[in-house]
Amino acid sequence: MADAIKLAYFMAVKEGASYLGGLLVTDTSGIPLDFRYTEPITPTHLQSILYGKSLEPHLKEEVIQKTLLKELKTPPDLFILSATELAGGWSGDAKCPVLALQKTQESPLAKVGTTFRAGPRDLLLQLAEGAAPLRVMFAASVDPAAQEQATAKLLEAGYHMDLTEPLERVTVALQSLVVKGS
Amino acid sequence: MFGRVRGAMADAAETLRRAFAGLNVVQVLPEPFALMPHQGSLLAVAPCSGLEPLAAIGRPAALFGASVPSRTLEVFQARLMAEAGWASWGAEAEVVCMAPLETGRAARVSVPPLPRQARALGRLEPTARPATRRITEPLAQPGLRRLDPKLAGVSAVAGLEAFLSLPVPIRAEDTQRLPKGLWMRYSLQLVRGTGENVRNLEVLGLFYIPRKGVADLRHDPKQGRILVRLEPSAVRAPREPFVLARRKDDGALLSCFVEGS
Repeated sequence: MADAIKLAYFMAVKEGASYLGGLLVTDTSGIPLDFRYTEPITPTHLQSILYGKSLEPHLKEEVIQKTLLKELKTPPDLFILSATELAGGWSGDAKCPVLALQKTQESPLAKVGTTFRAGPRDLLLQLAEGAAPLRVMFAASVDPAAQEQATAKLLEAGYHMDLTEPLERVTVALQSLVVKGS
Repeated sequence: MFGRVRGAMADAAETLRRAFAGLNVVQVLPEPFALMPHQGSLLAVAPCSGLEPLAAIGRPAALFGASVPSRTLEVFQARLMAEAGWASWGAEAEVVCMAPLETGRAARVSVPPLPRQARALGRLEPTARPATRRITEPLAQPGLRRLDPKLAGVSAVAGLEAFLSLPVPIRAEDTQRLPKGLWMRYSLQLVRGTGENVRNLEVLGLFYIPRKGVADLRHDPKQGRILVRLEPSAVRAPREPFVLARRKDDGALLSCFVEGS
């Protein structure tokens, strides 16, 4: 098995008036290799007024995400975040392909490894026999060649693990950290 | 201008000519003075009833002889008379007497020039200009304060140990994709490691899990996976193939690491 592939899962949540994020690096079995999180950031009332609607994207991308990426010693092979974050117009500067994964209710594709491109940055990937295909959405910064390479890595990792599950773990871990902090 | 005056003069002349053309001039000569006779008889008065018409009989008197003619008084007869001319008076032409033109009475009328600019009415009168007063005392200089909106930097915290408290799901490998020889070898190692009869074993799956550091392990038959709770030592430990099986007679779970390929 290919242990060299490292998957980074990023999630930022808002708990009350505070923001915090976590970055989980796993191997292709889903076993954690590294996990880092930020301390909760509570913007002041004045900062909330001055930043307006740009407060949340700025905190997640410029403050939380960059801080966590700096802490990584080696860059991951894939940077995976939630579909909501990606749809909101992700503009980070990760040095690896950035994508989001989403489970679907689509009928299975012909065979494992088959892809169906639904758009320039959107495709369906059949990972398991008879299962619903996985929807893969790439960030705008990922060119078609990088998309092909990332798809191959997803296919290899998806053979051993559930690719969407670690993001749920990160969310649960962040929520438990907030509860502990309070 | 002169043409109109000339025309007016001609009209006036024609009107005068027509007005005076139809009038008949009758010359009445005054009657000669009649002298009263010095001699004569008294006038005979005949008594008459009131209803009889008055009749006066003139009697000739020869005062101056036959050379003086005398006139006999005629008897006036009363009768009803009506003047019908008044009814047609309004229909008759009216004689218009026009004053003759006189020289020197015409005055030259000069046309007043139009105003060069229309006068605007209803304009608001400017308000009274307030009197300016000068405040010699300057306002106090406000204090300047700086609020840096920059969000404070955050620090990342390593939380792997805390994260390992969450169970890690590990999916079973698809044994159909393994080489048959390899799978036979794994099965043999499972029988040898557990000491069970191969017919009494039901293989639940082949999993790649850390060789050490697995603190807890649970099987999730619905998802076909195992949930493992790891220790920090498991992070860097090598992954080894791990076979999980169930004993058919009592349902007990059996497992063993099998050597890798």
